[in-house]
Amino acid sequence: MSETSQLSTADSTVTPVKAKRKRKRPIGFYIAGFWIGLIIFLAFFGWALPTPSWDESFYDSLGVHPFHHSHILGTTLDGYDMFAGLVNGARLSVFVSLVSVTVGGAIGTFIGVTSAYFRGKIDIFVTMAFNVMLSIPNLVLSLALLSVLAYSDENHPATMSRRVGVLMLSLTIVIIPILGRIARGATLQWSSREFVLASKSMGTKNFTIIRKHILPNVAPAILAIGFLAIGSVIIVEGSLAILGIGVPGGASWGSMLANGRGNIAYSPWEVYLPAAAIAFTVISCNWFGDYVRLSLDKRESKI
Amino acid sequence: MDIARLLVKRLVLMSTVIVIATFLLSLLMWMLPGDPAQLLVPNGTEVVINQIRKETGLDRGVFGYYWHWLSSMLTGDFGKYYLNGGYREVTEVLKRCLPPSLLLILYSQIVALTLAIPLGLISAYREGSRFDRYTSTILFTSVSVPGFALALILSLIFAVQLGWVDPIGYESPIGQPWAHLKLMVLPVTSLAVGLTSSYTRLLRTDVIATLKEDYVTMAASKGISNRRVLWMHVFRPSSTTLLTSAALNMGGLIGGTIIVETIFVIPGIGYEIAYSIGSRQVIAMQTLIALVAFAYVFFNTTVDLLTNITDPRTRERRV
Repeated sequence: MSETSQLSTADSTVTPVKAKRKRKRPIGFYIAGFWIGLIIFLAFFGWALPTPSWDESFYDSLGVHPFHHSHILGTTLDGYDMFAGLVNGARLSVFVSLVSVTVGGAIGTFIGVTSAYFRGKIDIFVTMAFNVMLSIPNLVLSLALLSVLAYSDENHPATMSRRVGVLMLSLTIVIIPILGRIARGATLQWSSREFVLASKSMGTKNFTIIRKHILPNVAPAILAIGFLAIGSVIIVEGSLAILGIGVPGGASWGSMLANGRGNIAYSPWEVYLPAAAIAFTVISCNWFGDYVRLSLDKRESKI
Repeated sequence: MDIARLLVKRLVLMSTVIVIATFLLSLLMWMLPGDPAQLLVPNGTEVVINQIRKETGLDRGVFGYYWHWLSSMLTGDFGKYYLNGGYREVTEVLKRCLPPSLLLILYSQIVALTLAIPLGLISAYREGSRFDRYTSTILFTSVSVPGFALALILSLIFAVQLGWVDPIGYESPIGQPWAHLKLMVLPVTSLAVGLTSSYTRLLRTDVIATLKEDYVTMAASKGISNRRVLWMHVFRPSSTTLLTSAALNMGGLIGGTIIVETIFVIPGIGYEIAYSIGSRQVIAMQTLIALVAFAYVFFNTTVDLLTNITDPRTRERRV
């Protein structure tokens, strides 16, 4: 025992430094927080900013460079304002990812927690269902779902709202098994703890045990993975747009990217800017998730 | 005996998962508004459509159709692409599109592992050092950059602006090995960056744990050089998680190549899946997605079995 502790101090001389730093949050946390805050602000209040409208083409200024006096981030080759497009895309990306992760997370958590708590046949069935859904890579699954659900032809043209709705539905279905499996694993761990047993032996109702003892302990793990899931939903949304079956017409970041791909040689900022917006948001979400997970690990090691 | 039982159990589980997944795919296709046979040949005459219905089992309800599809899959008939006036066997397409995808995945894995092993070893050996902190931050950031953003930006810089390589296309490695490698550089880079960071992180965690073992101290105290201790005594026992995850990624990467193949126009399986979805070739789409799912589940099961057999300690833990 003493040997291991000696060794661990010997090969990591920074242990005291780490202990001192513990109170300070890493700088990345603040950058990530600032960026997420900015995106959410733009998503909710972007309409109030004095920008040109995002779906109006300015024929007198096609493909102007960023930092132009009338278009702060330039325009596309078709004359659409980049800044207005990015702000509008923020709204759609935040909306789609928040809704699908929240709804999918809630359903997944419900299924995962109940099946792991009650075990038995339900659990076998749920595990099997999750395995089936996870056996198809999530981009392929959402592709297949979208191609069926967002079907359109001359007789049934898909409206914008229907496409967004279908996109959210497919992403929700993709999220359910991912977060559900995490919830199931965490519940299995916690439901064998002494305090749950004690609570059971006192005759507490199952529902109350889940609400008071299981959920509060499972929630941080789901929150941590939930942030990662928001990041991957944004990535999947962009990928689907590039494959040509996401949201059309430059209404989301991925859609702007897909539209700008053809003009890459003439106006590269059409690709740089939405790609950077997506990358920063995903990085920030991952950093946040990692931070939540780290603080969770710390709490766990204290117990 | 024990291993045989385990094998049977896993195989049964694997086939159940695959059967359910492929049935759900059939059901999904069945739910398409309109007639699937009509979708396959939008301008076909009644006679042609009826013939296709008969040929694919579409006239026998969803269960009949699924049974027909499954039994022909098992006998090696992978279905057809129905083009205007003719058809193309999916088997033919697979023969053409599997090599590019597999090579792409193979190259990415090799690049990622060659980078990740030294990086992981050094940053674990110098845990907490400046090198460790910088690599961790850079890798953590780069794993978060979406593959398509990276691919687009790489092709913008190196293909469009600098003109070092062609932005799109694929050449066979047999005829023109040099052109093949040149075209593969950008796609492989965009896939390998994410892999490298996840592998490095895995290896680093494991090596840090192994370094605290008593036998490592023992080896070091015997006067064996640091390099030798790291490679022979630390790396080998720490590499199981890394290799497991590398093997698991093989299946997942087939799905992950869709975007990269679309952006760089590589005629691989991902590109074919996107094409079959776009052109509503539902039968080809179902077959291709089923194959990806099969590869994924197959790799998972095999890796799981192998770790079970080679390391008996994991047997009880994973029930």
